[in-house]
Parts: sequence; structure tokens; C-alpha cells
Amino acid sequence: MTKIAVVMRTYERPVLLARAIASVQLQTFTDWELVVVNNGGQQAGVDAVVRTAMNATPSGSIRVIHLADRVGMEEASNRGLADSDSEFFVIHDDDDSWDARFLEVAIAALHGSPTAVAAVTGVTRIYETFRGGKVWPVSHEDFPLSQGRLTYRGMIGGNTFPPIAALFRRSVLNTVGNFDSSLPVLGDWEFNLRAVAAGDFVFIPERLAHYHTRTAESDTASGNSITIGEDLHRNIKLQLQDRWLKEPAVNGVNKGALSIAAAAEALTGELQINTPIVHVDIEHIANRTAEIIKLQRLSRRIARSVRHPGHGIRAIGRAVRRTIGK
Amino acid sequence: MTVQLTAEQVLDEHSQASVLSVDFFDTLITRSVAQPTHVFAVMEQNLISSHGDSWRGFAVARVEAEQRARQLAEQVDDQRDVSLDEIVYQLAQQLVLSRSDSDMVMTLERETELQLVQAVPFGVEITELARARGMRVVVVSDNYMPATHLLQMAHRAGYSWITKADIFVSCEHGGMKHNGMLWPVVLSALNSLAGSILHVGDDARADGEVPKSLGIATHVRDTMRRSHRDMINTTPAVLPLSRIEAEYRNAMDETRWDVGEVIGGGLVAMIVAAQVLDAHFVLGKRSVAGVHFAARDGYLAHQVWNTLRSRGWELPVATYTAFSRSVVWRAWLSELTRENIGRFVGDDEVLTVSRLERRVGCALDSPLDREMPIDASVARDLVLDNTDIVLSATNSLRTRLLTYLRSHEVLMSGHHIVVDLGWTGSTIADLADLVSVESQNQSVIEGRLTGLYWDATPQRMRIAMHGFAMDEFGSTDDNVRLLGVIKLLEALVTAPHGSVVDYEDDGTPIFVETVPELQAYEAVMRQVGDAAVRGALAILDGTHPSGMTTADITKESIWAAIMQVGHSPRTDEIDLLSQVNHVTSIDHEGNGRPLIAVTPDEPAKVTLEDLPGMYDTLMHRHWMQGSLRALENNVDSRWIADEMYKLNPMTSPRWVP
Repeated sequence: MTKIAVVMRTYERPVLLARAIASVQLQTFTDWELVVVNNGGQQAGVDAVVRTAMNATPSGSIRVIHLADRVGMEEASNRGLADSDSEFFVIHDDDDSWDARFLEVAIAALHGSPTAVAAVTGVTRIYETFRGGKVWPVSHEDFPLSQGRLTYRGMIGGNTFPPIAALFRRSVLNTVGNFDSSLPVLGDWEFNLRAVAAGDFVFIPERLAHYHTRTAESDTASGNSITIGEDLHRNIKLQLQDRWLKEPAVNGVNKGALSIAAAAEALTGELQINTPIVHVDIEHIANRTAEIIKLQRLSRRIARSVRHPGHGIRAIGRAVRRTIGK
Repeated sequence: MTVQLTAEQVLDEHSQASVLSVDFFDTLITRSVAQPTHVFAVMEQNLISSHGDSWRGFAVARVEAEQRARQLAEQVDDQRDVSLDEIVYQLAQQLVLSRSDSDMVMTLERETELQLVQAVPFGVEITELARARGMRVVVVSDNYMPATHLLQMAHRAGYSWITKADIFVSCEHGGMKHNGMLWPVVLSALNSLAGSILHVGDDARADGEVPKSLGIATHVRDTMRRSHRDMINTTPAVLPLSRIEAEYRNAMDETRWDVGEVIGGGLVAMIVAAQVLDAHFVLGKRSVAGVHFAARDGYLAHQVWNTLRSRGWELPVATYTAFSRSVVWRAWLSELTRENIGRFVGDDEVLTVSRLERRVGCALDSPLDREMPIDASVARDLVLDNTDIVLSATNSLRTRLLTYLRSHEVLMSGHHIVVDLGWTGSTIADLADLVSVESQNQSVIEGRLTGLYWDATPQRMRIAMHGFAMDEFGSTDDNVRLLGVIKLLEALVTAPHGSVVDYEDDGTPIFVETVPELQAYEAVMRQVGDAAVRGALAILDGTHPSGMTTADITKESIWAAIMQVGHSPRTDEIDLLSQVNHVTSIDHEGNGRPLIAVTPDEPAKVTLEDLPGMYDTLMHRHWMQGSLRALENNVDSRWIADEMYKLNPMTSPRWVP
């Protein structure tokens, strides 16, 4: 039995998948098994990426489960978990990545806290543009997270961390069950709430998880579920809160009512906490540079045309021919 | 090259002096690290090893605590120096330290200073001579450590004759050398007149101008500062390079601080050692059919590899394989479009037909004068008009390249590793595709690269790659920093020949030679390369005089070394490397561009609107950080660097988070 099962759900994002696998392979803690769950996407593309990755110096093992039809994200996680055996598990989305020490530090934290069910590291949120098969960084910021946000009270109002940040004891599945396959999104939030009721989440402030978010300019297929489906997230959240409202109160407290109240309370807090630490608008700089270069080039060409009219006339002729398609 | 006076000459020049006053740090004693703040990195290393990860970042916090303590002290009394207690108090506030942790840090700092202290040979010589001449010798220092501690350090360094009464330290007397307030204390205690004192130290102002203005004879000797860089960049990862540079500082005769030797024996030796170790690491992990050092970035590592084999290391034969972005791309070309033709001709290039023909590898059908200047647009049209001829030439190039690869056994069935600097992995990925098709998937290539940045991500679909010092999972800031130093690293880790632009029919590579590259090689890079090979061999076989071994070659230490030189270079490094041009055109012809961008003729006329364009130019065409520091070093252009730091904070000299 390996120490850690890393379950990676993927669907038609080979470039990001290749990066995600590399981030697992680079871990300093090496007793892991990576289970790639190809959620109904083309097999050949995933196989090729995994084959290439396995040509890198091997560390841990990689297996692929090809699902014939696309299922929900949480069902894909459950399939990956069912197909693996380990003491700990982590859900690694195919667009996220880790610092090389993530597993080493997270597992040490769980070893140091025998009653805890999960260890969650600090998160850096990376905004990137994905266009034409290439990834370009735009900015990064510290994702707001603290020990307080990893308690039941801290999490009940909304999802407080992405899956990439958390390492779980597998034994928690025996206590609280698997991910809820009926949820198209926010299954991690719903699961985390059940898990935190079963045991503590240990917070590691070091920012060892990278939560990648594509900008609006990115190709649609590469989008994060949260950025391309904000309405869906809102609706599912409401549905979950409705579901919990119908559940009996525990110790006089109804889970749904608590969630609604906490969400409203958090709204103001979010605005205060969620201030980017670093925001370097590289794209703006690049665009501005391109504009300036274009202007400089145009003025050089005009100057050259004035100095050498023959060149100018030929250039105009070429431009006209290009325009009319000859 | 500065000619330094000997200790005897210094004393002879000031024969009227009956008292020799010497500065303490970097005059009488030094440490076995390159700069004072690296002492805190040693402390951080010890703290992490004894007390865990929560002490990460201690070294930088210690530097900042001292800055804060000084600022606060100035508000109350700008004449006095701070003490270690005040600094540790600030540190405790920032790191939320308990009383016992604060005490532990204070003790550790004293112990670490004692552990690292070394006598400065010039300090030993001049104090011995002075004492032999019957002069009174005292120590006058601006420092936060008490005299009792300086005494311990002096004794540890071998100055057993020094007593506490001989030491005057600013934190105990309410005044500093720097502001002149310590000197009256010294004169009074010695019952001497200023004219009877000769003071020797390393700070131009505190040890030179100020005492001189009081009538004290002075001699400033700053040779122990040669290894200093930006003080804020301190973390355990810098220590391997720091120790090498300290060793150079101590070993080199004071009249010969050789910048090329230090860069080569320091940063470049570490990179080369890492390239060799990484290839060696893979051999231990899997069955490898071939190890190939890429020309030109693997030239030095290939030399080291062969030397190690000759010394009995059990290493397989490795090839030195010549391929370049331009030949691999052209060999793969199966169609010409307006999109891909841009790689033949850059947007701002002015070529001739004959030069264009050399780029595409064939004679072009053109009515134009072959030597007449043509702009990019005309050149591209001309290539498009000759599509069939060009594609036939690229197909032929492919045959010649494959002949070459076959002769280097790259097509042999099995797993091959290619060792290169980096950075996007696209060229190696193109090569891997070509090899894969030709060998019908029997030959697989893995890229072992010194560094990768963001743009490497798509290549991971095509080729297994490993970035030793950096990969695209680093922070955005570090990715930008890496992009900024790429030109420097390519220039430093190079070969005596130019880039490969074609192959003979029998597969012999054709290297182009450009005058700027040859000149730079002879003037700088040959020496850098020689020092790098010597240094890497010493690291690898465990005989490096700094005590550095293979265990010190880690991802973190190589990244730190790259950042120390590449991101926070010293002025002498900028001066040396400003004579280097980087030739990047597809045919590697022309004069290329200077590694360090030329400072604008009239910096005052640069506008804020120009800065984004300037930033892009520095980033993509020059060594960005070297160019920015050069701007910063020039009084007239400093404002440009300052504005650039505001616009892009990650470009400022600080790189340690």
C-alpha cells in the first residue's frame, strides 16, 4: 500500500494535465501513487501525456482510469479513490500544481497531529492566460486562508480552500463517506464540512499549493469550473443550503440556517480579506509594449518611404495586393 | 586593477603616527562567508535544523530587524549606534519570539560569529608590524556587538594580544565613527592627539573622510568588501556560492581580484557541476542509451564529464551534440505560411538577399540586388515567393541533421538524455519529435535542463523534462527573474565555437563564427569557462578549497547562485560583462545586441510612457537585471531604474522572498 493516493481528474486539457503530473513527479516525498481519471475525454491524448511523463525520472507510479462517459467531478474523484489503496489521499485537479515540498510538509503535519483528518497548506492563487496551447502568467496573490477558516464555523458559510491545498487521511472516508456524486460543483465544500465534523483540519501557513485560475481572455476549454460557472456555483450553494435546512437541527443548530447566516456574515469579511498582495499586470505591459513597437515601426516605415519613395510605392503595392487577395 | 600598498608601505607613509587604530569587521577580521548578512543565513540553517521549518525566513527578518532598530534609534538619538539587544527586540516583535527564543537567538548569533571568524591577512600583518615598531594598536568599530564579544572574536581569529581596553565600539560609547562622535572618546581614552593616530579601515566615509576631517591620518582598504552584494539577499541557499566567493576573496592576492575567475569558479562552476550531477543521477535511476550534452550550453559540462571519466569515474561515453533552435526548426518545416515565416525574419530586421539566402539555406529567385538592404516585409515576401525552393532546402537540411544525429547515436533505440540550459524546452521537444519519427518511437529523449520557465508547460506534452534549479511551478516573480537572466546564462555557459547553422552532407556540423562572439570569448568567456571547469571538478571530486561538495549542489543553491550573480550583480561584474554581445539571429550573423543594454544618451529625455517598451526590450533582448543595475549605477539614469522597480517590483535587487 502506498502512503498517498493522488487522484487527478482530467478532461481534454492535455497541456495542463502534463503540467499537473510534473508537479506530482517533482515532489520530495516519493511514496505516492497517481491515479489519473480521464473523465470521458479522448484516451489517446491522456495516454500520450502520461507516457511522456513516465519517461521522466520515475518517482511513484502513475495509472490511468479511462471513463467511457463523462461523469461529475465528484464521481470521478470517487472512482479514483475506489481504484487506489493508501493511508492518505489528495484530490489534485489537472490545472493546479504544488510546490515540490507539499506532500512532505503536509504528511509531516498529519503525523504530528494524529487526531486531525486533513492538513491544508497555504495557497497562492495564480492568474494565467491560456491561449493557443500556451500558458502565460498574469499575476498571483496570496489566497486568504487561516486556521479559523478551516473549522466547521469557518467553512459553513462557503468553500474556503481549493482541493489542491488539502491532504486527507483515507480513514475519514469510512467515517463520513465519499464525495457526493450528485453535485456538479462544490462537492469538495460539502465533503469538507462532513470531514471537519469528524476531525480537525491542520493549517500549514506555508504557501505550498498553487491554485491556477484562467483569465477571461483564455480559451474556453481551459477555464476553471469556478470562473466559467459562477451561476452554477451560486445555484448549487443555494440547493445545498436548502438541503441542510431540511435536516434536523443538531444541538439546536440547523446546518442550513447556520450556512446562510455565515455566508452573509462572510460577504463583508471577504471583501476585506481578499486583497491581492502582488498584482503585476504583465499582460498590460506586453500589450502596451506591442502598441509602442507597432507605432515605432510605422513611423520608421513612413520615414523610409520618404527617403526612398521606390520602397514606399512597392510596399503600398504589396499591401494592396494582399488586401485584394492577389 | 588597483595596486594596493603593503602593510609596511602604509606604516612608512604615516611614520609620524604613534597609534594605529584599526577597524574591526573586514579589516582586522572577516567571516568565511561572502558578506556579513550571510552570517544570519548560517544561523537560519542551524535554527531550521534544530528547531524546525518555522524559522524559515529568519535571515531576512534579522536584516530587517536591524534596519528597524536603527530607524527607531535615530528618531531618539541620531548620534548613537544600536545594540544587539535592540535588534533582537525588534526581531522578537516581528517573529513573535518568546523571551527564551530571543535569548537563544542572541546566543546563537554570538556563537555563529565566533564559528565563522577569520583573520584578515593584511590586518594581521599591519598590526604585527605596528606593534614591532612600538606603536599602540587599538580597535575602533561601528558595531552593535559589545566589546567583550569583539574581544572573543579577535582572540578566536588569533589576535591574542588584544585586550578589552584596546577596543572602542560604537554601541558602548553613544557615538559612531560614521558621525565622528566616537573619535573624541578614543582620543580621550588614549590621551592622544588626532595627529598621532593612523586609522585603517574599509569604509570610505567612516574610516576615511570623517576621521580625516578631524586630523587623523587614514588608509582605506576595501578589499574585503569585494565579495559583498545586496545585503537583503540572505537565505541558507546562498551559502554555497557565498563560501566560494569568500574563498576567492581570501585567496586572491589583493592586487588581483579577477572578476571573470570568480564568476567562472563560482556561479558557472556550480551550474556545470549541477549539469553533470543531474545526468549522473538519471543514470542511477534508469537504463540510459545515451547521454548527450547539447552544444553550446553543455560544452563545459561535457569537458568535466570526460575529465571525470579519465579520472576513473564510472560514467558512460557522452556525446557533445550540436543542434540549435534554427536548424531543428528548419529541418521540421513542411510548409511556409505568413505565421511561421516570421521566424526566418524578425520584425525589425533589415537584411540583404544574400544573408536571407544563408538563413534559408538555398539560392533564392529574386530580381533584387543581392546586397541591397531589404526590410522584413520584403524579405518575407521573397521567401514566400520561393516556397518550393525553400522547402526543398529544409528537407535536405533534415536529411543532413539526421545523418549527424545518427553518427552521434541519438537515433539508437532506448532512452536518451539531453543536457542543456533550458528554458522553454521547445528546441529539445522539436528534436525529440524528429528523433521519435525517424526512429519509429524506438528512441526517446528526456530533457535535463538547468531551468524551465512558464512557456515550458506545453512542451511537457511532447517530452519529459526536468528543470534542475527552476521549473514553471515557481512564482510568477521568479519566472520573470529567470527570463531576465537567460541571456546572461547563455553567454556564460558557452563554447569556443559559434552556433550550429547547418551540416555538411556527411553530417559534420557547420558552426558560424561572429566577430563579437569570438571577441567576447577571448576577452571574457574563455577565462570564465576555464575557471568553471576547474571549479566544477573540484566540487565533484570533493577537493574544493571552500569545502563545498556535491551535497551543496541542490535546486535551491543553484537557483540562489543564479539570482546572486544574475539578479544582484556587483558593479565589477556589470563592467566586465558589458563588453559581451549576444547574437541571437537565426543565422547567428551580425553584431548581435549588447548583453547589457546601452544607457540612453539623454536619460532625462526618456518619458514614463517609454518605460513599458524599455522593460520589454530589456527583458527580451538583453540581460534585464544587469541592464537595470547599470542604469541604477549611473546618476543620470538612476531614475529610470527606480521607476522600473516601481512598475515591476520583482525586478528590484531583492530576490529572496
